[in-house]
Amino acid sequence: MSRRSGPTWRDGTKIAVCAAMLAARIGAQTPQGISVESPTLKADQPIPRDYTADGRNVSPPLTWSRVPAGAKEIAVVLEDPDAGNPPPFVHWVIYKIPPTAKGLPENIPFEPGAPMPAAVAGAIQGVSGFRRPIYRGPAPPPGKVHHYHFVVYALDAALDLKPGLNRAELLDAIKGHVIGQGELIATYERK
Amino acid sequence: MTFISRRDLLKRAAVLGAATPVARPLEGRDDRGAESPLHEPVVARPFQGRDRVREPLENLTAGEMDILDAVVARLIPSDANGPGATEARATHYIDRALGGALASSRSAYTSGLAALDRYARSSRGALFMQLSATDQDSVLIDVETGAATGFTGSSAAFFALVLNHTHQGTFGDPYYGGNANFVGWDLISYPGVRTMVTAAEQQQLENHTLKPNHKSAYETDMFTKATAQNMSHESSDKERV
Repeated sequence: MSRRSGPTWRDGTKIAVCAAMLAARIGAQTPQGISVESPTLKADQPIPRDYTADGRNVSPPLTWSRVPAGAKEIAVVLEDPDAGNPPPFVHWVIYKIPPTAKGLPENIPFEPGAPMPAAVAGAIQGVSGFRRPIYRGPAPPPGKVHHYHFVVYALDAALDLKPGLNRAELLDAIKGHVIGQGELIATYERK
Repeated sequence: MTFISRRDLLKRAAVLGAATPVARPLEGRDDRGAESPLHEPVVARPFQGRDRVREPLENLTAGEMDILDAVVARLIPSDANGPGATEARATHYIDRALGGALASSRSAYTSGLAALDRYARSSRGALFMQLSATDQDSVLIDVETGAATGFTGSSAAFFALVLNHTHQGTFGDPYYGGNANFVGWDLISYPGVRTMVTAAEQQQLENHTLKPNHKSAYETDMFTKATAQNMSHESSDKERV
């Protein structure tokens, strides 16, 4: 007995209905695009060594614009979809950034309790894939280019986000509150 | 990892007061092709192992001990909580034990400490001892998380080895050469080994008022006998702490 491998008219109808529902859902929740840049990082270009484990391993400066006017808080996640089990491998989680901030300065402190720079006072660093609440830059296995996504989220409320959240916990906590989102993608490869 | 510790402050004051030259002349450029920052004057450093008198080493070389001293000073630093691994002489314990119970780790120290110093220089532009406390912590985090390069196997394995031995040297029985003056036991409020506890002492223990006896377990006849038995089994890294 053989079974038809192509889609039936019934399947086609289902797909069309689902696509329409999905489009409506996405349309209702699609956040406004945020432009993410950096004075030292260039899109799709290698990350300078100082921001990696092959250098000083300090966090790079980021800037953002076109943040929605109603933003009450900003969060940033650095993730590498080319690593992790399951991907992405998370290098940095930082949230409760004041909406007035236009970016993150270089070298966010990693010592516990160290004060944040004034422009981002109140920001909290969450737990990365390195199991520490600090920035740790690219340190991929050699032989493959990895892509690093600096994702910026604008939130419509000052949420009660506890210290020590990892990426999954943060994304779960901000679900339904993201009114703006953007990212800068840079690369790194160890030879 | 910590902020500037009490020990750092005391050392910086001592360095400034004594005006001791601390920078070691090193030649060349770093591997990024830039002038090495090692040529710049160093105002203060968190650890000055070479500037102090040291007793003869049993197994480690002087260079290895310098690096290890600096490492353990960051793993269990001296701070507001009290003395740390340096005062406990954790490295003395490790140096001695590498000729006995920890002998199987000797080669790991040779390669690991050399790799640590190479990594510090290639990534931060200076030997580990010459870095600030913050940069030393940053290097150690990279080593701990396996992000550091140049190690035989994972740097995380070397970090775990050194951390384990530092714990042994800080909190083990002073009989083995560490936990000097019982600073490790005092740090965790351990009152000491007792073969008998009176009701009054038990009460004090529960009230956290029992004074430490500051005695090695081997000061009692019972453990002295155990020592003799254990001396014939000095092969495992995990025993005899």
